[in-house]
Amino acid sequence: MADTGLPDGASAPAEETSLRRRPFAPSPEASVVSWWVCALAGALAGFAAELVFGGIQLWQGLMEVGLVGAGPTVPGLGVSLVLAVVGGAGIGVVVGYRPGGYAAAAAAGLVLGLLWWVVESLTVLPLLSGVPVTWSASAAQTTFGFAIGSLLYGGFTGLGAHLLVARYSTTRPVSDGRDRRAAPVRRVVVLGGGFAGVSTAQRLERRLSRRADVAVVLVSDSNFLLFTPMLAGVAAGVLEPRHISAPVRAACPHTEFHRAVVGGIDPGRRLVHLRPVDAGGPSALDYDHLVLALGAVPNFRGLPGVMEHAWSLKSLDDATRLRNHILGLMELADVEANPVRRRGQLTFVVAGGGLAGCELVAELCDLVQDVRRFYPGVDPGDLRFVLVHPQDRILPELGSRLAEYARQRLGDKGIELLLATTVAEASRERVVLGDGRVLPTQTLVWTAGIRPNPMLSSAGLDLASNGAVVCEPTLQVRGHQDVWAVGDCAAIPDSQDQGRTYPPTAQHALREGRAAADNIVASLRGRPVRPFRFRTIAILVGLGHQQAVAQVRGRMFAGRLAWLLWRSVYLAKLPGLEKKVRVSLDWILDLFFPRDVVLTQPSAAATSRPRELAWNEGDE
Amino acid sequence: VTRGTAVWRGVVAGLAGGAVFGAAMARLGALPTIAALVRVNSTAVGFVVQISVAAVVGAIFGLVMDRERAARGEMLFWGLAYGAFWWYLGALTLWPILLGEPVGWSAAAARSAFPSLLGLLWYGATTGLVLAALRGTDPLRPHLGPGALVCGGVAGLAVVWLLNAILGEPNRPLAISPAMTRQPAMVEAVALLGLGLAVGVGYTLLFPDLPSTTGPALVRGVGYGFLLWVGVGLTLVPLIESAQLPWSVTQVRDAFPTLPTYLLLGAATAALTTWLRRAGRLLFAAPAQRAAEEGLGARTLRAVGRGAAAGVVGGLIFTVVMVQIGFLGTVARLVGSTRPAVGIAVHLAISLFIGACYGLLFRRQTLDLASALGWGSAYGFLWWILGALTILPIWLGGQPQWTAQAAAAAFPSLIGHLAYGAGLGVTFHLLESRYDPWWIPHVAGYAVRAARRRTELASTAPAVWILVDLMAVTVTVLLGGA
Repeated sequence: MADTGLPDGASAPAEETSLRRRPFAPSPEASVVSWWVCALAGALAGFAAELVFGGIQLWQGLMEVGLVGAGPTVPGLGVSLVLAVVGGAGIGVVVGYRPGGYAAAAAAGLVLGLLWWVVESLTVLPLLSGVPVTWSASAAQTTFGFAIGSLLYGGFTGLGAHLLVARYSTTRPVSDGRDRRAAPVRRVVVLGGGFAGVSTAQRLERRLSRRADVAVVLVSDSNFLLFTPMLAGVAAGVLEPRHISAPVRAACPHTEFHRAVVGGIDPGRRLVHLRPVDAGGPSALDYDHLVLALGAVPNFRGLPGVMEHAWSLKSLDDATRLRNHILGLMELADVEANPVRRRGQLTFVVAGGGLAGCELVAELCDLVQDVRRFYPGVDPGDLRFVLVHPQDRILPELGSRLAEYARQRLGDKGIELLLATTVAEASRERVVLGDGRVLPTQTLVWTAGIRPNPMLSSAGLDLASNGAVVCEPTLQVRGHQDVWAVGDCAAIPDSQDQGRTYPPTAQHALREGRAAADNIVASLRGRPVRPFRFRTIAILVGLGHQQAVAQVRGRMFAGRLAWLLWRSVYLAKLPGLEKKVRVSLDWILDLFFPRDVVLTQPSAAATSRPRELAWNEGDE
Repeated sequence: VTRGTAVWRGVVAGLAGGAVFGAAMARLGALPTIAALVRVNSTAVGFVVQISVAAVVGAIFGLVMDRERAARGEMLFWGLAYGAFWWYLGALTLWPILLGEPVGWSAAAARSAFPSLLGLLWYGATTGLVLAALRGTDPLRPHLGPGALVCGGVAGLAVVWLLNAILGEPNRPLAISPAMTRQPAMVEAVALLGLGLAVGVGYTLLFPDLPSTTGPALVRGVGYGFLLWVGVGLTLVPLIESAQLPWSVTQVRDAFPTLPTYLLLGAATAALTTWLRRAGRLLFAAPAQRAAEEGLGARTLRAVGRGAAAGVVGGLIFTVVMVQIGFLGTVARLVGSTRPAVGIAVHLAISLFIGACYGLLFRRQTLDLASALGWGSAYGFLWWILGALTILPIWLGGQPQWTAQAAAAAFPSLIGHLAYGAGLGVTFHLLESRYDPWWIPHVAGYAVRAARRRTELASTAPAVWILVDLMAVTVTVLLGGA
């Protein structure tokens, strides 16, 4: 591990401001006396206290006081002194040192003395002398003299240790009240605020919570962690957008957060270039360790018109706009006179029959069916939901029995499944399929593929064929000891399955983040790093109203049981108690009240375009 | 503040305390024995001797407390603990040595010196309060509004009324005075309400701070209850009724059944006041006033989980005591069984629940092992009173075991509860320090706040635990049995 690294932004481009390492405010009362000093002082003070109070016991003939019946073996002054030195060291360590805290030191010593009496006189000595241990009041009365001795010994040891340390500290400035931890000397920078990035930061924060010399910095263009598995619920209007997102600043309170877009990475100079999201100039961050958790973006495969006209479901904005778009179409269809155009407005196409596609098409179907009664002009016969999937079975991630079950459930809902079919082209009012068929529709949702964040292609790192960063099994980026990659943007070799990489799912991202954090901590401490190993625990797919399929470690569940499992697992995984409560309330209220048809975008024109920015602009 | 100022303040406070102590000793007729130090048998000389000693002891108190940031209530507790400490050091050790007598390090000698313990508690309380008044108010402490006093009053009234309604005849709060039970119902009701109001408002005046969790308030309340028992029950009421101080061991033993009443009164009043004030804050405080606070629900689940885990660890330690004293059968009877295995299961379940409550009540209140031991043992003591002496016997179809003899018989259980509390507190602290060491600021904004809280905790909390622990052992051992 190299030392403190670079002078801040020494060779960054001229217009960039370099982000300084934030110093910690000094904490004036922090104890800076190491534990062995306290132990030494405690041992000395304990010795002196025992000389006095043990001496009194010896002088007054109290050492011979025994329990009723068989007298316990009572240690002589020599043994007592040895015990007192050991006990004093213990008291010194436990009491610690805080400038000016005489009274607290004496008080803590007193409590420890009392405990010492319970342990020594009421427990250990009777045990040693074969007297039954009763902890009874009569035993306590018999040894009350020892209680007083222990109390005074403890109190004076605590006070004495404090005075000794205070004395010591005036000759050597170890506790002048100034905090020596001026600024963190090392910086770990995490790029990306998704599951992988936030779990890395959280784990780092937890593992490094007692070290002030390492700062953790997280950079993301959104200041919240989005719980993507519930996005379909937002698109369907069941969940409030804010309820499935947790602020990064609350989730990682000890992490320094920068809301910015990553403009570039310079592993050679250990610099990250940032562009602000809203205003301000570019800036640069230097790092000692860098974690790439930049995620993925939809992959439209260059199909004509798809990028411009297909909706995607990767961000909160996507979900709310999609919901607005669908409700907007319902409004239009309600008053549309032309039956052909109305059928187009009421045809909803989802491309991709994977986990996301199946969940989404089922949720959209439920949404439309649920709000249909507000729109008397909409003929139920005109509603059409289509799932287009290139393979001959949906849900390739699951076993064939579950996939077949899911296919039947979707069919029961009235969803058309076009298997072994691809989307070839899209425009504002229609979708052309690979076999030449044309679907008149104004809604094409694209869930058929993702690709790692395109920003990575300019970083000079080794990339796999899909554009992901090639990693070692230890999560280190190939050829770089101090760059780590996790989540959807990383190609991490699967330890169980030679030649394959771990799939881009949330449960993998979470574990990869934690493993990367552990390895970073290990390498900061000069310890060996470990390869990442994880086996998928469960795959859960919601299929709309009280239907789901689940595969947990090879076991299969379907129907209501799977749906309950799906809800409870996702609820448990939702970050923070507050969001769990809010989502539960959303679900409960949904039982009693109709779905909301409020349009939160002012005009249909605003929702008619899937996105404002093209993906190749480097958005995450 | 220079060291000289601290000494002089201590001397003045010590003189005030000495005056109270001297008055009590005069009432007990003990001043001539104090004069024995200078080989004279005279009341006046005795008073002069004791007040000079009091001034010196007060000066030491002023010095020791010089840099502790303690306000009224905490200073009162520091004074009480200091007085108790001087009973052990002065009355039982130095005084006999100076007089050439054997030191009083035995239960019998301690019993005969019991009146001076109560006297020294009065001395400590007075010294602490006067010293706090001389030091003036800490500008960083919040100003106490009328709303807080109303909350305190309401809490005190509710708790007194509730305790009076549910407790049996000999344990009621007013049972402290036999004369009161002979009064007409109207007078009794007024006295009860007055007591509740005074207790609640008094608590709020002593502790104007609103702690961020209820645990410290609960332990403070136990200490406050003990103070009320000594101050009201053993001193003021008998003084008013008969101009006597019934401070001998046998007299105090007769008043023992009201001690748990007052401890529960103090603890419940403190907890309820805190809850009412927090509720008020929750409802009415503007965001700017509570900018530094997390919401009530934030991090709750983790605190509960850590508390539960720590509770099981403490419960396992307690199990050793239970097996040794053969108590598991009694625990098993709670669910109608007699098998020890059932007893262990029930005991661990209770330990887990009480530990989870500890997690809620004491999160972010420990900063080192000493504070963990302190809070934990005080919490264990509270549960000895509430669980072992009250709920368990009532559950098994009996009465609260609140006599001195019953408390002494339950002494092994007290040791078990203290061990449970210590194990619980230390484990919880270790878990918290591993995952959420709040006292180490990692962001500049937290640093000042964390440092202030740390100092406040470190300089005020020890007084409370030490008082509770000393009281638990001393009072039980000396008053029970024999």
